[in-house]
Amino acid sequence: MNALVLALVLALGAPANPPDLSGLEPAVAAQIAEMRTLGAPGDLGQVYLAYGFNDAAADRFRAAAALEPGDPRWPYLLGAADQAAGRLDDAAAAFARALEMSPGISPSAAAGWVHLGEIRLLQGRLDNAEAALKKAASVPATNAAARSLLGQAALARRDFKAAVEHFEAALAAVPAANRLHYPLALAYRGLNDRARAEEHLARAGQVGLKAPDPLLDGVADLRLGERVALMRGRVAAQAGRYADAAQEFRKALAARPESVEARVNLGSVLASAGDRAGAAEQLREALRLDPSNVTAHFNLGSLLAGSAPTEARPHLEMVVAARPEDAEARRLLAQALRDGGHLPEALEQYGQAVALAPGDETARLGEAETLVRLGRYAEARRRLEDDLKQMSTSGLLSHALARLLAACPDPSVRDGTRALALAQAVWQAQPTADHARTVAMALGELGRCREAARWRRTALGQAPQQGESDPEDGVSCRP
Amino acid sequence: MEARPRGEVKGVILALAAFVAGLAPATGAPSPALFVDRATEWGLAFTYSTGQSGELYFPEIMGGGAALFDYDGDGDLDVFVVQGHALKPGSPDPGPAGWGRLFRNDLITPRGKNPAPRFVDVTAASGIRATGYGMGAATGDFDNDGRIDLYLANFGSNQLWRNNGDGTFADVTARAGADDPRWSAGATFADFDRDGWLDLYILNYVDFSVANNVRCYAPNTRRDYCGPAAFAPVPDRLLRNRGNGTFEDVSLPSGIGRKAGPGLGVVADDFDGDGWPDLFVANDGAASFLWINQRNLTFREDGLIAGVALNAAGRPEAGMGIAAGDADGDGRDDLLITHLTAETNTFYANLGGGLFEDATARSGLGAPSLPFTGFGTGWLDFDGDGRLDLAVFNGAVNLAGATGSGAGLTPYAQPDQLYRNLGGGRFALVEEPAFRKMAVSRGAAFGDVDNDGDTDILVVDADGPVRLLVNTMESRPPWIGLRLAGTKADRDMLGARVEVRRKGAPALWRRAATDGSYASASDPRVLVGLGEAPEVTEVRVVWPDGLVESFPPPPARAYTTLVCGTGKKEPK
Repeated sequence: MNALVLALVLALGAPANPPDLSGLEPAVAAQIAEMRTLGAPGDLGQVYLAYGFNDAAADRFRAAAALEPGDPRWPYLLGAADQAAGRLDDAAAAFARALEMSPGISPSAAAGWVHLGEIRLLQGRLDNAEAALKKAASVPATNAAARSLLGQAALARRDFKAAVEHFEAALAAVPAANRLHYPLALAYRGLNDRARAEEHLARAGQVGLKAPDPLLDGVADLRLGERVALMRGRVAAQAGRYADAAQEFRKALAARPESVEARVNLGSVLASAGDRAGAAEQLREALRLDPSNVTAHFNLGSLLAGSAPTEARPHLEMVVAARPEDAEARRLLAQALRDGGHLPEALEQYGQAVALAPGDETARLGEAETLVRLGRYAEARRRLEDDLKQMSTSGLLSHALARLLAACPDPSVRDGTRALALAQAVWQAQPTADHARTVAMALGELGRCREAARWRRTALGQAPQQGESDPEDGVSCRP
Repeated sequence: MEARPRGEVKGVILALAAFVAGLAPATGAPSPALFVDRATEWGLAFTYSTGQSGELYFPEIMGGGAALFDYDGDGDLDVFVVQGHALKPGSPDPGPAGWGRLFRNDLITPRGKNPAPRFVDVTAASGIRATGYGMGAATGDFDNDGRIDLYLANFGSNQLWRNNGDGTFADVTARAGADDPRWSAGATFADFDRDGWLDLYILNYVDFSVANNVRCYAPNTRRDYCGPAAFAPVPDRLLRNRGNGTFEDVSLPSGIGRKAGPGLGVVADDFDGDGWPDLFVANDGAASFLWINQRNLTFREDGLIAGVALNAAGRPEAGMGIAAGDADGDGRDDLLITHLTAETNTFYANLGGGLFEDATARSGLGAPSLPFTGFGTGWLDFDGDGRLDLAVFNGAVNLAGATGSGAGLTPYAQPDQLYRNLGGGRFALVEEPAFRKMAVSRGAAFGDVDNDGDTDILVVDADGPVRLLVNTMESRPPWIGLRLAGTKADRDMLGARVEVRRKGAPALWRRAATDGSYASASDPRVLVGLGEAPEVTEVRVVWPDGLVESFPPPPARAYTTLVCGTGKKEPK
């Protein structure tokens, strides 16, 4: 056997510690087993990498690189496996090798520069990071991701002006990447521009920015099975990408049609996307498959609580029976009971919801509203006064109390002066049509009819902007 | 190809040179171990049991912690370790084996030899029946009787054990109104309203119960422990000490109870320098909270604008342990938060005025932490050079962070890490044998167990014996030890800040505290290594009530008690 053949045998040999396949989803175990039998080391490495077996993947990519030393894919993927395992020096060396082998700047190479820049940034080697990222920024596909990382490097240098420029550029290219508003806010903070910092903090979210990465995106596509689709769906749902999430949950259902979890999740994201009928259909099907599924009962109950309280009630009762400590379920059940006309029962559930979650102002509000519907106005006022002692800054409760004090059917409960003070404070914090209307009602109660009329006009003026269409504003004046 | 900057190479060489000069013997022989595990030798025989059932109940992967506190007032640190047990319904009652344990430290100093603790299990005699599923411990003298009391945070109801002063404790949880039936990960005592009585902050995690357990999976599709996102977060609780042995729940009016977060770490410290204790809460997988004390027992949550809620990229991280201390020597307490595998541990440098910046990249603390999941952590000056070094104790919580294989929690085991402070906010990993042990480490309590002037570390490993990592470095620069005591009550003045002024060197700032780390309570005494500037000119103390006093230099290589009100008053 000559040296070349020996090298090939060694390269093709099994990894030192092949991953244990026990406990994996059968489709995934079968996929890996098949690749072990049939696949070249690079192919097997990609499957390992797809499922997070990073060490085994790195081993196979080294073997692949030994077989095909001129192919930049293997050091690139080795870099990705090492980076995922936290071996940053090894990862950087591998990416650098891959980039040396790639003439010019292709999309794959540009993604490699992004990886290299990210690694050097983590290592605090800012000069190296910026050199790599500037190369990535010169390619349109990776420009935004590179600019966002250049922004981080500038932040680390306390070069806030440059950081602002980079983050603004990245956001201009990908406005949906709302996570960038946070470091951008910190850059403005560094420039002592507190107002802009606050403005961007208010817009910050968790949608990140990822450079297109043809090789690694291909690896991700190797993942099979229900659980993988479920995980992807959850990640997409958490990022607010409901259409993508629904697609993944449908893939999970295609892999296992009897999957209750996939159906419940699909129902949830359809509801979040506004497809209430589709959501209800999925959740009902989930309950047909598993009538005791508490999550499905909860989701269906909460979906129907506002529109079909009678149908929502049994679902929420199931949840409360299964999870008596679930304050949210009790609040929703209370809402369904109240809207279904079962006021004493609703009051009891609201009471328990408040006891379980004293910080839930919606439950406290519901409790007071139920008391109002029961005609127990003085009690409602006392309850709201107590609530505000506990939660003095709650706009929701302040507004409810203002309304009650301004327009309670029982005149002995009314207090126009206090109602006006509360209503004005709420309006100042949040100038909505509803809040303007409450100011008008308080002024009406005080007999200040001209001012009430002016506020009423303000409310009517605000309403179309805010999508409110209720012309019955309940404002009257007692001159 | 990348260019390596010249300055960087030089910096590394200088750093290595400093390290070698400080630690390696002149002979060139291998460095002796700095830390040695003496738990067994000194009688600390205890294994934290997670009660693994195969059901992968969330608490099984999260506990537990310990406390180092001088409960008998004899001047040395005793030990309490919490305990877990099987959660699966129908599991046999483990009896006392499933309870937390109290070990008394009978420190002896044989003639001509170093002091040597001997730990004796006094749980039965103490009356402590820590029957809950233990997560963490907090210590503080809540009734101002001069004896340190013990608060136990559990998965389920918590317990407040009042120290009777005769070696026994009484369960006063109900009478004091100090329970929280939810899953608490820890707690901290601090005088938030500066009325002279320690209030209690209870740190809660998520709404998990055995009944609502769900199935979660690793990226490789194998069944795995869930993360916090699988359950609803739970708000924390703030209890005001009424001064009569009871607490008033002020969670809602204070603002604390109005924001839910999966909290795993908490520190009370004056982060904005206004003299009032604030709170930093490390949330697991969610934005952390920085509660700024409004001086009327209400708090404003400022984490985002302060720059500590998320990392520099705007991502929430899996906050677990916290180390709070002046790591960069600028007189302000910085924060190091331990995180999940594939996230860095994150170092937030305090810029003053309640603002921080993520200084992880330039600190050198980020990249080495990527493969590990950090829990217990603390600043400690292990080489006495006056700079705070860092210890981090690791152990995965899911298979994505696991590297090993085998039964039980073995796959989750990871080595720990010790970093040396190079000055200027930069750190370098130290290859220390005692930190190479593969274990699923969780809580870590820091304190000078043998009273020899350096910090030892009590480490709680899940389903493993506790470790007592004793600093054995023999040739250390001079040090001073300070106990900061109250006047009205001879209790540790938690939150007091100390400035040690030295001739020819910058002042050193330290804080009397027991909180931070993970699920654990540390030594409240302040230990200051003086490095190459051993001449102390003055010690200034900023007491929790705002009083500032100066004291003459205390003797070196000894512990000294400074009593509030007995120093020379200084302007604030």
